[in-house]
Amino acid sequence: MTDVPSVVDRLDDLVRLDTGELDRRIFSDQEIFDLEMKNIFGRAWLFLCHDTQIPKRGDFFEAPMGSDNVLVVRQRDGSIRAFLNTCSHRGNAVCRAEEGNVRNFMCTYHGWTFGLDGELVGVPGKSIFYKDKLDLSKHPLRKVAQLDTYRGFVFATFDETAPPLEEYLGATGRLGLDLIAERGDMVAVPGVQKFTVQTNWKFTVDNVFDYYHPQITHMSAFSVGLIPAPPDDFVEGGAKSDTGANLEVPFLPTDLHNFVVVGEYGHAISGPDQESLEVSAGPEPFAWRHKPEVEERLGRHGGRVAGHPHIFPTTWVTTNAQLSLRVPRSPDVTEIWWFSFRDRNASQEEQAASLDSQIHFFGPAGMLEQEDGENWAQSTLQTKGLQSREVPQLLKMGLGTSEVVKEDGLAFMDAPINEHAQLWTYHAWREWLRNPSWEELRERTIPRDRY
Amino acid sequence: MTIEAPSATQSTVDAMVVQHQVEQFLYHEAALLDSHSYEEWVALFTDDAHYFMPLRRTMTRRQLHLEFTKPGEMAYFDENKTWLETRAAKFATGTSWAEDPPSRTRHLVTNVRIVKDDGHELAVHSNFLLYRTRLKNDVDQWVGRREDRLRRVGTGLAIVKRFIYLDQTVLQSGNLSTFF
Repeated sequence: MTDVPSVVDRLDDLVRLDTGELDRRIFSDQEIFDLEMKNIFGRAWLFLCHDTQIPKRGDFFEAPMGSDNVLVVRQRDGSIRAFLNTCSHRGNAVCRAEEGNVRNFMCTYHGWTFGLDGELVGVPGKSIFYKDKLDLSKHPLRKVAQLDTYRGFVFATFDETAPPLEEYLGATGRLGLDLIAERGDMVAVPGVQKFTVQTNWKFTVDNVFDYYHPQITHMSAFSVGLIPAPPDDFVEGGAKSDTGANLEVPFLPTDLHNFVVVGEYGHAISGPDQESLEVSAGPEPFAWRHKPEVEERLGRHGGRVAGHPHIFPTTWVTTNAQLSLRVPRSPDVTEIWWFSFRDRNASQEEQAASLDSQIHFFGPAGMLEQEDGENWAQSTLQTKGLQSREVPQLLKMGLGTSEVVKEDGLAFMDAPINEHAQLWTYHAWREWLRNPSWEELRERTIPRDRY
Repeated sequence: MTIEAPSATQSTVDAMVVQHQVEQFLYHEAALLDSHSYEEWVALFTDDAHYFMPLRRTMTRRQLHLEFTKPGEMAYFDENKTWLETRAAKFATGTSWAEDPPSRTRHLVTNVRIVKDDGHELAVHSNFLLYRTRLKNDVDQWVGRREDRLRRVGTGLAIVKRFIYLDQTVLQSGNLSTFF
């Protein structure tokens, strides 16, 4: 047997920034997945839920953190804590519900009972069986290392050396969350959509930035008017149907005017700028942005974002006040979780219209997202073929043509549709896998001057 | 509890006829879906129809009343007739790739019970198994129950309300590019 170099030694070959090529093994290799769980999901600040999902004392929501599941719990004093959903005695889950309200968490195996703060408060037979020799204070539910909120969005990390949340998010990540929070007094709509796609999680993440695919993948949604397209701006796109007919693809003003932001630790934003999107979608969806205080908060550059912010590693903010969490369960299984928000001060009609559009765009029955899963599943499947996986994955669009401007804490590029943000995400992914110190990681993910 | 053998009174015969009509209507509808005749299927709905599939959450027995979301909250489907028509039109575009090649579906409808009949509208409960295969080896199975309100129109029936309650919380499928 020959010595196979470890994955860490091959990282430079797996992601090639100079050529815009990836090695397809990264989408199905178990060793890489295990390393991701440890070096990315074991360290990063991960989104858990929104403050308004657990408003009352004892409210809880079970959230994924890498290969673990944590209970996010509203405390008696109004604060929030999160701990692993595993009994400190013999490992059973102490809570079987996905969400709800409790006074305690009692393990159904032997009855060990934990308070809302995760402390062990009851052990059946403490005197008779344990002879009072069990120190309850030594066996609480295992807590996350740090938990914090940014504008109502609850995050946690298993790494006690991780920088504070706001620093981790940086200007790019904070802007993403501001684009929900600035819409009003935002509350979570009851109900988190959860569904399962047979794909590697990274396909679901890089697709967030991909404004090249809607015109083909979501062509049927354009055809029925779900995505507004000027009726006479369909052009022959070079795509031909299986009968040889030219497919008329919609061509939008947004295709030429994209605004890409890349940030430290791997956060990024990609998609159209607002001005060009208003040409096709009209100004009405953006009315909330034109209040002076909102414009000030978003800033002169942040206010141009009409695309998709993504907080590394798996949190996508949509343009429709939704947040999508991509949950890796195994190399080729990913759950998609949709959190939706509305302004509690908006009129009934406005709230209904917002929900109507949230339901019809994304989620498993969403008229856009219906089409996405199979692309990702088939792409994942082909990375397992011994020959198919030797074909590099291409992210070459716009490579080397865009100048980075750094202002107001943001690093951004103006360009036609491109693949900069995808490549940026894979670059950061590679640096995370090397498991550097936080300072090294930050330095290695400071954007350069050109991509 | 004893169950008395029904005597074939006129009212029993009438009830059986209605039961038969309702079942035949539901089977006809299922056949339209399985043959991908979506536009014909949507035509079975009234203009004021409401088609709704809530989310479901694993909750403790004590909080089971919160298991399903309600209209006004997040849902998988919350459709008026116009949305159903839009969905059907989308499948007909020829570019709805999630259904090209088309899925193979089989709608099995059982346990049909007429729980209310006011002469104008009927409340009908049923169970379903929707079996779908795609491509070489993708298989999805959705089991659940439906609460329908059917309206007598002309010589037939039309769907005013359909609420679909799936027996899954985290959906085990990659999409719901179908109708229930």
